[in-house]
Parts: sequence; C-alpha cells; structure tokens
Amino acid sequence: MSDASIENEDIPLEVVSDVDQTWQDTVRSLVNAYVLVPGRIMITDYRALLGFGIVFGYLFVGTVGVWLMEPTTMWDGDRLVQSFETMAHPLGTDPQGRDILTLLVYGTRPILLMMLSGGLFIITIGTAIGTVAGFSRGRLDQILSMITDVALTIPGLPLVIVLAVTLNPESPVLIGILLAINGWGGLARNLRSQVLSIREEDYVEAAKAMNVSTGNVLLKDVLPNMMPYILYNFMSSMRGVLFASVGLYYLGVLPYSQENWGVLLEQAYSGGALTTWSMFHWIFWPIVAVVILSIGLILLSQSTDKLFNPRVRARHE
Amino acid sequence: MSQQVVAQENILELRDVTVSFGMNRGVSKVLDDVSIDIHRGEILGVVGESGSGKSMLASALLDAVVDPGTVDGEVSYRTDSGETVDILDLEDEELRQLRWEEIAMVFQGAMSFFNPTMKIRGHFLETLKAHDQDVDEGMEHARELLTDLHLEPDRVFDTFPHELSGGMKQRALIALSLILEPNVLVMDEPTAALDLLMQRSILTLLDDLQEKYDLTIVFITHDLPLVKDLCDRIAVMYAFDVMEVFPAGDLSNSTHPYTRSLLNAVPNLTTSLDELRSIEGSAPDPVDIPSGCSYHPRCPLSTPECEQEDPPLEEIAPDQEVACWHHEKVDEELPLALETSDGGSAEVYEGNQSDEPVVVMDDIEVHFETDDGGLLSLFDDPEIVRAVDGVDLEIYENDVVAIVGESGCGKTTFGKTAVGLQEPTGGSVRYRGQDIWETKRGEGTGDRSYDEIRRALQIIHQDPGSSLNPNRKVSSILQVPMKSWQSDLDVEDRKARLLAMLEAAGMSPPEDYADRYPHQLSGGEKQRVALIRALLMNPDLILADEAVSALDVSMRVDMMDLMLTLQDLFDTSYLFISHNLTNARYLAGRAGGRIAVMYLGEIIEIGPAEEIVQNPQHPYTQALHWSTTDLDSNSEGEADESPIRAIDVPDPIDPPSGCRFHPRCPEAREVCATEKPSLDSGTDHCTACFREYSEDHPYWDSEPLGEETIGAHVGGESS
Repeated sequence: MSDASIENEDIPLEVVSDVDQTWQDTVRSLVNAYVLVPGRIMITDYRALLGFGIVFGYLFVGTVGVWLMEPTTMWDGDRLVQSFETMAHPLGTDPQGRDILTLLVYGTRPILLMMLSGGLFIITIGTAIGTVAGFSRGRLDQILSMITDVALTIPGLPLVIVLAVTLNPESPVLIGILLAINGWGGLARNLRSQVLSIREEDYVEAAKAMNVSTGNVLLKDVLPNMMPYILYNFMSSMRGVLFASVGLYYLGVLPYSQENWGVLLEQAYSGGALTTWSMFHWIFWPIVAVVILSIGLILLSQSTDKLFNPRVRARHE
Repeated sequence: MSQQVVAQENILELRDVTVSFGMNRGVSKVLDDVSIDIHRGEILGVVGESGSGKSMLASALLDAVVDPGTVDGEVSYRTDSGETVDILDLEDEELRQLRWEEIAMVFQGAMSFFNPTMKIRGHFLETLKAHDQDVDEGMEHARELLTDLHLEPDRVFDTFPHELSGGMKQRALIALSLILEPNVLVMDEPTAALDLLMQRSILTLLDDLQEKYDLTIVFITHDLPLVKDLCDRIAVMYAFDVMEVFPAGDLSNSTHPYTRSLLNAVPNLTTSLDELRSIEGSAPDPVDIPSGCSYHPRCPLSTPECEQEDPPLEEIAPDQEVACWHHEKVDEELPLALETSDGGSAEVYEGNQSDEPVVVMDDIEVHFETDDGGLLSLFDDPEIVRAVDGVDLEIYENDVVAIVGESGCGKTTFGKTAVGLQEPTGGSVRYRGQDIWETKRGEGTGDRSYDEIRRALQIIHQDPGSSLNPNRKVSSILQVPMKSWQSDLDVEDRKARLLAMLEAAGMSPPEDYADRYPHQLSGGEKQRVALIRALLMNPDLILADEAVSALDVSMRVDMMDLMLTLQDLFDTSYLFISHNLTNARYLAGRAGGRIAVMYLGEIIEIGPAEEIVQNPQHPYTQALHWSTTDLDSNSEGEADESPIRAIDVPDPIDPPSGCRFHPRCPEAREVCATEKPSLDSGTDHCTACFREYSEDHPYWDSEPLGEETIGAHVGGESS
C-alpha cells in the first residue's frame, strides 16, 4: 500500500455509476437469493427434500386435491369396507359407508389452515414482543416481559376450553389462533435473551453510529441471526396446533362444522373403533395422516438452519 | 543435528512430527515434518503468526491433538532417571500420568480453564487427588507457588474464578500447572490476553520460577520481542514448520529471511518510523503448501532452487539451525531495521492539524452504577464505577490522538463518549462548538442537526469477528452508510462507489470481495471493510478502538498505513485506542499527533507522540515504556526489574485517594496519598505528577511511601 497509488482526482467517494440496473437484473438477483440458493442447499440434504416433499404433498392435497374429488356422502359405499379391498374405497369406509380417503382429503384443508394461522400467530407475536423487549431494555422491556410472563403462567388447556366454549369459533383460522393464544410466551422469552446478547455485538453499535433506524437494525442486523430458531419454532408450533386441535376435537371440546381429522378420530373412537378390529382402519388412517405431517415438519425444521447459515449459502452461490 | 542421537541434555526430541486433518478439500497438514530438540533446563520460545502451527506443536508434545487429527513421527521424552519414552506410543493411563506430572501445560484462555462454580482451592485439591498425591504437602507447595507469583494464598484459595482479574487468574493457573512439580512446562500464549504491563510482570516472575524449580519451559507466542529476553533459544515457525532456531538475546543472530522481515514489520519504540515494512503476500493454506521452501512466494531472496527443493534445518553455529539456502546473504540483503537506523528517530512528522477543534470534551465524567437488581439491593447504596473521571480533550481536524492504558482504565468508554455513543454523566461533548447530547434531546442552540453530527463521528471496533454482520455480504454491509445519508444515490451508484473504495483499500479484485460474506475474509480484510464502512459516512472523526490489536504482527503496519493514507484523502481525524505504546507511536507519530496515557479514568500524561515515547515523565508512562519490550536492548537472559510496586490494578469502584497511581508508584511519597496532582497545562506535554511541579512543592519534603517495593528502579532500559 503506497501513498502514490491513489491520485487525489479519483477520490472514491465521488464515484458514480454510468450503467443503470434494469428491473430484470433486480428480479434475477432476488430469484437467485430467495429461490435458487435455498433450492441448491435443499437438494444436498435428504431430510430437507423429504420434509419439503411431505409438506408440499399435504398442501397439494389440501388445495388441489379438494377440487379433484367429489365429496363423500352417507352410503357412498358399503358399511365398513376394509382398506385395500376395492379401488372405489382404497382406505375403506366408515360405518355410514363414507369413503375414508375422501374424508381425510377434505379434512386436510381446515387442519392446514388452523396450523398456519396458529403458527403465524405465535411467531409474529413472539418475535415482535421478544425482539422489541430485548432491544429496548428499560421500562418497555419490563412491561413486555411482564406480559410474556403472564402468558407463560396461564394454564393453557383450561384457557382454550373456556374460550372455545364462550366464543364458539367455527372458522379454522380463528380456531388456530385460539389454540395458539398463549403459545408465544416461550418464544418471546428465548428471543429476548438472544437479542440481549446480539445487541451488544459491535456491528449493531456501528449501525447506530451510522444513524440506521431502530427498525432497520432489528430487521437487518438482529433478526437474520435468529431466523433459523424462529423458523424452527414456526414448524414446531404448527405441530403443536395440529396436536392440540386433533386432541380437542377428539375430546369434543371444539365445536365442529366441517369434517376434519380430529372429528374423524372422535367419531371413530365413540363408534368403538379402538375395541373392534373391523373398525380399526377407521381410526388408523387419521392417525397416520397426523403422524406423517408431523414427521414432515420435523424434517423441514431440522434443515432450516442450513438455509440461513452464511457459510452454507456461500458454498451454493 | 540428526547425528546427535544420544544427546543427554535433551529432555524432549521431536522427529518428523506431522499432524494432518482430512478435510473435504484434501489433507490439511497443520504440522509438517517438524524436528526439534528441547534442552533440559532451557526456555525455548516458539514464535509464529496465527495459523503457523505453533499451538499444534504444543498439542503434539502432549499427544493431545484433537480428533480427527492424526500425529505421525516420534516425540521422545527423557525422564529424570534417563529412560526414554515415546509419548506417541503411550497408553491412555500412562499418558494421563505423564501429563501434568512430567509435562504440564498452560493454555491461553485462563478465563475458560477454571470451573466457575468451584473455588480456586478446589481446583488445586482436585488436581492433587486425581494424581494420588499427598494433599497436605501439595497444598503447602501450592501456597509457596502462589506467594512466588505475588498472590496471597489464603485470599486466592477462597475466591471463585470470576472474582479474580485476568492477570491473577493467569498466575493462579501457572501455579496450578506447577503443583505436581513437572519437569516441562508448555505455555501456549499464556499472556496474550493480558495487558503489556501484566505480561512483562508475569514474564519476570516466570524467569524466577524457572530457576527456582529447575523447569524446562516451552513458551509459544506470536510476539517475538516479548520473549527475547526471557528465552534461551527461539524457534521461528512459518507454514507449519520450524524455519530456524537461534539463541535469543541478540536478534541479529537470526538468519532466516522470514524472521528478518517479521522483525522489520514490528512497530517498536526505537526503529525510525520509515523503516517499517510489512511482508507482502499471505501465509499459505494448510491444504496447499507451496513446493520447495514454503516461504519462497513471499521471500525477497528466493531463487529457482527455493521453488524446487525444501531446505532442511542445518546447524550453522552452536545452538543455531536454519532452513534456508541463502542464509549467508541475509545480513547483506535484509539488514535489521533497528541496526541500520541511526539510533532512534530524529525526524518528527509534521501534522497538518487545523486550529479549530472538531470535538471538544470538557470535564467528562462517566459513572456506571452497578445494579445487581433484586429486592435486597434496594437497601444498599449502588456501587459506582468511575470509568471516566474528569477528562478534557480537544481533537482537531486531521488529528491523531492515541489513548494508551491498561484494560479497565476507561479508555474505550472515553472514546465512545467522544463519538457520542456513550452519554457522559457529567461534562459536555461538543462537535464544532455544539453540544451533542443537547442537540439529540432537541435543546441545542446550534444550527446543525443531530443527523449531521451523527454522520461526522464514526467507529471501528476491536474485534474483527464481531464488527461485521455475519449474515450480510460485504456489498450490502457497505451500502448501509450510503443509504443512511446519501439517499439520492441509486443501487448502481452505491455499488460503483463501494467497489472504488475496496480498490482504494487494496482489496482487489473488488467485485470478488464485494460478493463475499464476512467469514470469507481474513481478520485484516474485515478490519479494512470496517474502516471503509466508517469512511463512507465521510466522517470528521473516527474512533479506532484497538483496531489493529487483533491482527497479526505483520498486518498491523499495513492497516495503520492504510488508515494514514485514507486520512490524507478524506481529512479524517482518528481517536486511536490502544493498550500498546508501539502501535500508538506508529500511528500518532506518522501523523504528527499526540499520545494520551490514561490510568483509572484519568489522563495522566499527554503530549506529542515522540515526546511521550522518548521522554516519558509520569512514572506510569515510564512503566508502560518498560513493559514494551524493545528489540534493541541487548541485556541478556533476564528481564529487568519491574518499576511498579504492585502488579495488579486497584478496583475502579474504590479508587485510591490522592494520586490514583500512588499504591503502585515507585516514586510515591506521603503527599501523593492525600493530595491529587492535576494535569499541568500550558505546554504541549502535560503530566499529572508532583515530580513535574516546581521545587518548592511539598512532595519533595514528604517521606517516601512503601517498604514492600518489588523493584524500585525506573526506566532501566532507556539505552
């Protein structure tokens, strides 16, 4: 580095570009950053592929599948056809002659909606409260932390039961939010403690020195560090909502207007499917549907860390 | 050397030791056919830059290379009774006995070595019991060791690790490693995390310990000048192999081009500032070590022979081996800078500071309340840490002010106050005459907006690992400042500008660097990006908080040169914080700036850089000068006596009365304990010490303090 190599005329602070970036370039770089690179990372990881495949499969069934299938009605088939006996009812029928596969397909959509709304509710509230509390400190932090503690200490199941009885919600989106109503406390607590350490990082102070607004610091400097954890929480709280809804339908606490997996389980159980071998497929297939979706979410959440790790990303560009 | 098979005086012999790791990219050789002898009773310094394989050498000595690394070769250890064991062949149980009882190790991170939930006594007891030693006898020995290391055994035994300062912890760790009376002590950067003064003090103590307990010490460090007085021989490592071994004491004994270049790159207190040259290029990748001599791509003396054949270590004098085909030519081609320069630096650089100050700090106080929280603390008075206590400073345009002091003296807090990132609890910070904090609260009278002030004051942090957001690419990191204050620029303009800046900072091709994540940059490159980021705000003052301390020795001069070059271009002032007088001298000296010495929250001496370095007035500055080992001093063997009376810094919660330095000051008299000297003003070079006052000051009639003097001689090596 010799002083002579820089002429005063070309002071780098005065440089301006003579080319304009077209919107195609912008789109191309966005696609690269958000589609191609994650895609390339996923392809190298069988867990991600499998998880992505399973979840995508359920999404397909819940959206397109409903269009492809006629809804089933009573006495579509014979009573209690066993699985794999006829092509018309591959998974068999229930005691009223309804096709179990069709019931499962039609039950996917409300379940997915519930999971999505519940999961989004948890990570939005949890992330917002956790990061703001950790970053602001002082009085705001104390208030937000107190709200978090309250959410954490209220017993969840009784609250949900009471709310379900009083509100009697029917839309799956509302039910999802109801089931997640106090699920965000743990996430907020954990994020707050992570933010407490990230806010001491030198680059956060440098951003403050550069007069970057607090919102931008949170979005650009703080959140990306926690994205794997937030995404993991998204997946696991969706699983939580799945189990809670199925469980509460099974208990008969939630009101139901549409058929879904939890309703199926409840009907099968009260019909005596657990004690009668010929009815076993009635309760078996909804359980399989729940378990496979849950496994898919676990696999997907395990691979999210890689998507945000700059070391992994750099290798796939 | 290979002929001397039965060398009695060797306690350890390494033969063709190779450590390799299998990696995705190929086999990584982190130790490459190293052969070296360690004599009984000597102190061998192993010196190398980071990533030269020196820590791996320590691990190999104890067969402690972590999986999946594999060690090949021979490490023979000769016991007291004359038997030879090959350490690499030992069973686990035999290894366990050998470690600590025969060969002990002191690691760099004393902080993480101790179990935080166990008192220091527990650590000693645990070690003694694990090795079936007599506990009473062992604890008696431990007391003796701790006393030798200037620690009070009874007090230290009953403390938890977090209650000790870094230096005390490191000393307790040394005592712990010696508790089983080992023959060999391997120390891996034992002092790197400590202040210079503490480093020097520990080295002095080590020297005494080595004699008293008849130890063989292998001292691994990146800092060649530090160990030159302590060691008997120095082995220099580069690219995972030993380049040369030479008797310490006189650095002109070194005959390898790498050692010479390294020495010429180290900022010090005597060499003229013009003579410093950084080494071109960078150290090789362990997967892809150059053929032939591994140093040839960077060596100014390299010939085709060097590219083809790797020179072996050959003995050229007693105790001296070198691996270079051209070692005879070294004296002629690569003379040591400190020998050619005509005795100290005569030239003084002229700064071009303005008359109008940019930032004025007036009687700044920053006090922190230590609040433990909890209900019980309601009834206690909060403890107040006086991080900065009444400091005035003016910084001009194109200025460089270097602040030097030990860790915990408040220099970082003071620096952050100067750039408006820390609100002072007392006093005022003014930017071009306008109070920063009043403006921020909207009470100011000036016509500048807070945004404008914020833009003008920027910061570069100490730790390259934490100064850049790991999730963003260099190009997006560098666009932040432009988005912040030049919103008229579009993406393309921002990119063009940041590429030009990368180019100007010597990072080419810039397109390649712009597209990298921080983890793909070296430490020096990260610091450059941080510097560019600060400069893109077009600031008037940059706080460089230990900005070069974390870099390798050969990179520091490079980085400081870049800072100075860019100062010429952008008319920026630097407030440079350092614990190291040599770096401060280099940066402030080249720009005609000042050095300020801080002690426990106060500036105790300030003046032109060369003045402070060549003619320090305050006893504390003199002690700092002593702690900065000079390459030049030809005193052999022992480190000089310490000029301070107490090794450890007092607690800033309860600073000493009167002059804060008096409990450690060799010149302290009774009046120093009651009255406080103020920084005399009026001249360029101010000192806060009664000794600088006139002859009729009561100091001169007052009684000298303190009988427990460690070493009262000051400035022993102003040769």
